[in-house]
Amino acid sequence: VAKLCVCDLLVAQCDVNCCCDPDCSAADFSLFTTCSVPIVTGDNRLCSQKAAIYSLDVEANPPERIFKLIDQVNPSVFCIHATNYKEALSFSSPQMPTSENFDQLLKEFESATFSAEPGSWNMNTDAQSPSDANETYRYEYGVPIQTEDAFLRLPSPVVSSWCSDANPAGFLVNQATKCTRSVSVEKCGNIQAVSMLFYINSSVLAVNITVQSVVVQSLNGMWTLLNSSDVLRLPMILDEVCINIVLGVSYHITYTDAGEIIEAAASFVLGAINKEALSIQQSFEISFTQVNTKPVPLSGNPGYVVGLPVRAGFRPQGYPFPVEIFFNTNKYGQLTILKSTSNQDCLAAQGARTPVLFGYNMVSGCKLRITAAVKCQPLTQTLLDLLKGQTFPEYVASFGNSRAQDVLDWVPITHFQTSEQRIYNTFQSSCQIPISLEIEVKWTKYGSLVNPQARIVNVTATITTTTLKQLPSGRERTIPITSSVVFTDISSPAEPGYKAWPTINVKLPFDFFFPFV
Amino acid sequence: TSLLREILNSSYQLSSVPLQILFYINGIYYIFYFLATLAMIVYKSEVFSYPDDFLTPDLALLFIMAILEVLRLYLGSKGNLTEEEAPLGLSLAITVGSVILSVYFLVWQTYVLKADVILNALLLFTYGLESVLKVVAIAAFVS
Repeated sequence: VAKLCVCDLLVAQCDVNCCCDPDCSAADFSLFTTCSVPIVTGDNRLCSQKAAIYSLDVEANPPERIFKLIDQVNPSVFCIHATNYKEALSFSSPQMPTSENFDQLLKEFESATFSAEPGSWNMNTDAQSPSDANETYRYEYGVPIQTEDAFLRLPSPVVSSWCSDANPAGFLVNQATKCTRSVSVEKCGNIQAVSMLFYINSSVLAVNITVQSVVVQSLNGMWTLLNSSDVLRLPMILDEVCINIVLGVSYHITYTDAGEIIEAAASFVLGAINKEALSIQQSFEISFTQVNTKPVPLSGNPGYVVGLPVRAGFRPQGYPFPVEIFFNTNKYGQLTILKSTSNQDCLAAQGARTPVLFGYNMVSGCKLRITAAVKCQPLTQTLLDLLKGQTFPEYVASFGNSRAQDVLDWVPITHFQTSEQRIYNTFQSSCQIPISLEIEVKWTKYGSLVNPQARIVNVTATITTTTLKQLPSGRERTIPITSSVVFTDISSPAEPGYKAWPTINVKLPFDFFFPFV
Repeated sequence: TSLLREILNSSYQLSSVPLQILFYINGIYYIFYFLATLAMIVYKSEVFSYPDDFLTPDLALLFIMAILEVLRLYLGSKGNLTEEEAPLGLSLAITVGSVILSVYFLVWQTYVLKADVILNALLLFTYGLESVLKVVAIAAFVS
């Protein structure tokens, strides 16, 4: 007890106001004001125990610390006289699990008291085990992909740009990373991380990683696709140049609806380094495709993610029944608007379009130079093509992951046409040319309050036209053409739901007024 | 004169009166001892860490001691009153067992509180006194 000190926190240094600190000298004690720990005892339920009492004698000059070791007596008749049980009054240190006592410890601590989930206290453990058996090979989003010995690793930069091999790849988490690795020609064959073998060595839970394609990059940066991709090319030194160094790996994992991985393929970019190279940049990528589907990049799952393109398509004409939506608008099936170019000339920048990103209001435009010789109808058509693009879609996906087969998940685009001129000119022979396209996308929050998903409810495309006044010959006019996209959140605010007020249900027994009724 | 002789010299009554008084007191004290020890074991199991491995022997020995005590007091009392040495001898033998159990509760129990010490010390003192008186009574009966 004389050696115990609770306030001695700093090693080899004097703690302030800690009278039991052995690192303090008499000079330090003279600077204290009180003793933070006046008494150190053992368990005070014992009948007789040693106690160390520390106090400061402030009368003396300088103040001194007084240390007394006394026997403290517990006067109660129920004080502990003796114990024959070693761990009676102290915390028992838990047993270290070894291979012998593991099963017994598991049985002891497996019960509901030690379970992490409060919901499983009364649960029947038999009911849980059949579903657990099916869970062994199912992956959930974000779960690290297991290989034979550990996890599938995607090297990525951690604090600096140097590669760290400890980043596990998560299921359905598409990642693309770039990091730097230090290499040298001398250690060419010894560095594991630049050899193909390192990346295809581990099999992903009973599925072998196949090599899909190999591209060889020469010293001057030219890429060549190799014909035969099943040959393992290991780094080797050739004429003071180390070839077959892995510069990039791209994993493609195919999975099923049930969450199992059925195929894993890797594509490599191999390069060469010469003597002066001290480090190379490696890039890694992993992507997941569901089996039997064509990969279409999702813009959210299920709600749209801000910054991802809005998906659109159109239904082929002539089909009365709901059929798949086709993505002919652009390769990826996105809604696009006119892209502003540097020279701002509408006619010069034919066809340049930029995808509409969800949540980002965009404005773009160009300037149209017209002369007197321009005819109305072709100009109108050109401007419509410019504003809407070659094939303007009819339907927009309401969720980021809407499938083409679910036609009801797609929102039709409604078109409006307004005229800039307020005065309604009955003289209709004047030319109306479209000068602006405004797309308004109304979206709402859908789903749970905790994790609301964005869902597109309504898309309107408004074309504003203006009268083209005939120019005197020789004169030129510049008309600004604009197109814009606006996203409006029309979700109604959450309403709190209160329980109904409790009602007092008073019913007197039928014979309450007995003698009188 | 025979009546006078009876009153003056009660030596033909061999039953030991002090021993009988002691048996009576012992019985009452033991009831108190049993209830107090049982209550204290319950108290210890609530307040201290008293695992089942240690609680079960203590409780079992307490109940065995109670049974032995009943037997012992009955045999001793019967032997004393009927002036037979056999039950008294048997009672003395059982007293040895009771002494051992009392020493267990005094020294080898899982938690020995001060109250335990007091109770068991008193009980041992009573046993000791009883044993002496029993030996004297047996000697008186035998001779």
